[in-house]
Amino acid sequence: MSALTFKLKGKPDQRLDLSPLVPARLARLKQKQIEALVIGTTRAKLSVGDFFKVKGDDAERLRFVGTDKRCDNIGKSLSEGEIVVDGNAGAYVGAAMKRGRIEVKGNAGALAGASMAGGSLAIAGSAGESAAGILVGETHGMRGGVLTIGRHAGPLLGERMRRGLVIVGGDAGDYAGGRMIAGTILFKRGVGRNAGYGLRRGSLIFLREPEDILPTFGDCGVVEFDYLRLLETWLRGTGRPVRLGGRARRLMGDMSVLGKGEMLILA
Amino acid sequence: MPELKVKGVTIVETFAEAFPMVGTRVIITAPTLEWALISARTMTGFATSVIACGAEAGIERTLSPKETPDGRPGVAVLLFTMNADKLQTQLRNRVGQCVLTSPGSACFAGLEGEKKLKLGASLRFFGDGWQMSKLVGGRRFWRIPVMDGEFLCEATTGLTKKAVGGGNLLVLGKSHKSVLAACTRAVKAMAELPDVITPFPGGIVRSGSKVGSKYKGQIASTNDAYCPTLKAAVNTALPLDVEAVMEIVIDGLSFEAIHKAMHAGIHAIAKGGAREGVTHISAGNYGGNLGPHHFHLKEIVG
Repeated sequence: MSALTFKLKGKPDQRLDLSPLVPARLARLKQKQIEALVIGTTRAKLSVGDFFKVKGDDAERLRFVGTDKRCDNIGKSLSEGEIVVDGNAGAYVGAAMKRGRIEVKGNAGALAGASMAGGSLAIAGSAGESAAGILVGETHGMRGGVLTIGRHAGPLLGERMRRGLVIVGGDAGDYAGGRMIAGTILFKRGVGRNAGYGLRRGSLIFLREPEDILPTFGDCGVVEFDYLRLLETWLRGTGRPVRLGGRARRLMGDMSVLGKGEMLILA
Repeated sequence: MPELKVKGVTIVETFAEAFPMVGTRVIITAPTLEWALISARTMTGFATSVIACGAEAGIERTLSPKETPDGRPGVAVLLFTMNADKLQTQLRNRVGQCVLTSPGSACFAGLEGEKKLKLGASLRFFGDGWQMSKLVGGRRFWRIPVMDGEFLCEATTGLTKKAVGGGNLLVLGKSHKSVLAACTRAVKAMAELPDVITPFPGGIVRSGSKVGSKYKGQIASTNDAYCPTLKAAVNTALPLDVEAVMEIVIDGLSFEAIHKAMHAGIHAIAKGGAREGVTHISAGNYGGNLGPHHFHLKEIVG
């Protein structure tokens, strides 16, 4: 069986809602039924067949080819299976996903992995604002799983995050980890202003010292953290090698709220 | 029936009688193997027998940095008791007093197990509200602030109810020296095997016991049938030329693990042959009426 593949025929003239294209929904559908699923977002009822050439038969493995930033909701609420996006993804990729794996080879729009509860979302390029952040109507941002962003992340990364791990390979925007309740964000490069604003618990791990640290974070000095070694060992075992070592400067905060969160800046 | 011998050492046609236990494994890591061993030895100290120690425990093996969750040198420790509640109490007390206190240590689950025992989930309260929980790869860990930094401890570890305690070998010989040398060799051979420990000092017991006593309230007393100084006064199990008897007690996570350990032990004891002074390899039992697990020496040697 080959992966069920959706190849974009041309640049869409409207935003597309691809949320119906998840393994759980497609498992029992025939190709014609799949092609009839409505994905348009305007008054015209446009369906999968109008935008995509569909082939393959394994609904557990989906592949989107040639998608662009107008292709929203890829893998939204994913509960099983695997999705590979050979192109860019629009907003909400992997939002509210529970299990499974999504790989985006290009960039992702806003709210990637927002309020996701589990599974793995890997974006090779950059992600827009509020990645791992909070979906409208939700009380928490990311609640579990692993989000990796190969390049840059927009502002409000991990806003109101509750659990899980985010890894950013490039720079992150302003207010990263804002109002975070718990969980971990690992920054391999720079971060914008006001990182950790309103941080209650949770860990912001920096490989480079941030240029701007909020005055509401208190310095604890450099200490040994076996947790960093544990994280490094686990990341290496899952094919995401990052050199963390064991020593880091710890800043506690945000003291303007609960203040039990931390910034760990590798020493 | 001809007498079974291995290199001239008589294998007595008897069996070791063993009992069901509950067991768990934890992994202790530290900045160096030396400190991991210090922590593990402290945790498994005074844990030779459930009769008076509350638990039987020992070091299963050392672990290289590649084998531990945090990439540091480590030690795998096995802990056994007669029921899950006692195991929980012993685990909490021993890790809390001996591992949490040991410089640079961390403690991780070493067994999946049918059920879970609280590890960091109980010890976290030492953090007095400053402890932090972290989920890494679906496993929960607690970071507890201590004076040398943090004590990292996994929330739970598994327990198995398929553990077996009291596998044993009795080694009879013509001199104390030869019996001690043979038993030391056997303990070393068994230490190479997974899932077993020999909880007594250096793995060897010189004071095997029988059930009961002439004294009221004494639940166990010296195994007079195997005491060489009493040959003339009791119903002795010893030939006149036997000068010393030592016992190796084996606890394991499964029946098979003990079976393999006894096999390795018997062959290590007999390695030097009868010329070295070991005359018999026997085993302790209670007539087969108390423990459901019987390890017949003849089958093990075969």
